[in-house]
Amino acid sequence: MTWLLGTLTVGFLLYQWLPVFTLGLLSFSGPTGGTTFPMNGVSLHWYRELIEASIMNDFKPPFGRSVMLAAACSVVTCVLAVASAQAMRGRFRGHNLFFYLLLLGIMAPGLLVGFGVAIMGRLLGIEPAWNTTAFFVQVSWTLPFGFLVMLAIFNRFDSRLEEAALTLGANRLTTFRRITLPIVLPGVIGAALFGFTLSYDEFPRTMFTSGADMTLPLAVMAQLDRELTPELYAIGTATTLLSLVAILACTLILVSLRRTARPGS
Amino acid sequence: MSTIRPRSLPAYLLALPAGLWMFGAVVMPAVLILWVSLWGGTAFGPGNPITFANYERFFANASYRGLIANTFLHTLMLMAITGVLGYGIAYFLVMKVQSRAWRTALFLAFIIPFWTSALIRAIAWVPFLGVNGVINQALMGLGITERPIEIFLYSRTGISMAQVSLYTLMASGPVVYMLAQIPPSLREAAMTLKAPPGVVFRRVIFPLTLPGVVIGQVLVFLSVMADFATVQWIGGNKIALLPNLILNFYEGAQLRAAAVVSVVLMACMLVGTFIAMRVVDIRKLGT
Repeated sequence: MTWLLGTLTVGFLLYQWLPVFTLGLLSFSGPTGGTTFPMNGVSLHWYRELIEASIMNDFKPPFGRSVMLAAACSVVTCVLAVASAQAMRGRFRGHNLFFYLLLLGIMAPGLLVGFGVAIMGRLLGIEPAWNTTAFFVQVSWTLPFGFLVMLAIFNRFDSRLEEAALTLGANRLTTFRRITLPIVLPGVIGAALFGFTLSYDEFPRTMFTSGADMTLPLAVMAQLDRELTPELYAIGTATTLLSLVAILACTLILVSLRRTARPGS
Repeated sequence: MSTIRPRSLPAYLLALPAGLWMFGAVVMPAVLILWVSLWGGTAFGPGNPITFANYERFFANASYRGLIANTFLHTLMLMAITGVLGYGIAYFLVMKVQSRAWRTALFLAFIIPFWTSALIRAIAWVPFLGVNGVINQALMGLGITERPIEIFLYSRTGISMAQVSLYTLMASGPVVYMLAQIPPSLREAAMTLKAPPGVVFRRVIFPLTLPGVVIGQVLVFLSVMADFATVQWIGGNKIALLPNLILNFYEGAQLRAAAVVSVVLMACMLVGTFIAMRVVDIRKLGT
């Protein structure tokens, strides 16, 4: 049984990774290489194409927009996630409803949410744009994840530390700023990371709401509709590596924070 | 006592911005879609008469009715595959892998793709499945087939293959969580009482992980029901499911028809989630 399950697991991991590796490998194919094997040489040709792109398929402006949008979503997600998780600790009337309202952002399909916001914009006479309507709808996707992270963090939080501060005469704001926030900081970083990567990769919500100036995933989709080229593989490899580096950096920050937070070390 | 008092004014004020944001970005749009789907007349504005004519037109079309059934069947099939596969992987990672280093490595190999772009991962399947794709080249290289098989790209097989790799983690994650919560003493007690492994699994382990299974299945259900992207790229324009119809209508500027399909899709999802919620309480996962 163990062998069967082990084979299944390793088999699945191969199945999951092989296409990604193939994509990465093909992105280094020669100038005459196509979208499948053989590679026709090894080169950085397709990465150079990305940087020296023509106007028709220049991915740099969409990339810039995506990064800015992701950064904005990340910041707003952090602030709102901490606030709403704090609010949940206050067990206010209707906190159950509030919980489900936030969870709805994960459950509701992006296609429908994006379509609905597009209709809303049309009825209100708001032009869709990547930094207004798309931002508005993307936060409804990133916030619930940040909220869940902060809920989990506050679940394991030792309130006695706050009590001690309050008993010693600190007011609630100071206690939050000096005691609560530093302790939950790893969680806040986690929420920020969630916000960034989820927004950076988002397309169904953005599709209807970003207007003429596209984000990176939409530009990739548009290019895919025109033609599949190794250039897309180069983008895919580059953004995948970028995500991995971001995850790695944040994991390292979390680990080092936990080390310093541990008493006696 | 914490920095926030129960039922205090600050508790409400802290919840208000997020609540309003979610209401404005998720609840209101859904209500608007429902409203627009009921609009009669020809102009796109709030003055239209309310009618069910849009729905009558939709359900009168047999190919649209077939599409609903097709979407359900496809989703059920994926739930079954990812459910079995995901449970097997979760069980292996939590219960069978003893070495901590190996377990961490396998976990990471399993989870990392979830963090990277679903769009890129879907695209990655295209060179794999095509007529000159990796699978066909491998099959021909091994001498299994002489000519390329065309069933992979632009077919339901290809779509399912890509979706299995995209969504198995969703079926598996909650099970991993529930399995990790089971105290080892429970299993030891059952085994001391001479229960055979099969019985321990059926009567002890599986019931304890059931909430995880159900939640994983809900996640897969919701994702596959709404996945238009994989279907569009790997299925080409030959295969369509319910969400692709929304996109088609939207691009054809038929907003009312798109709204009708959206409401139908929403209703299907609500029914599915409601059934699952009757089986387990999702809030139990957090405690």
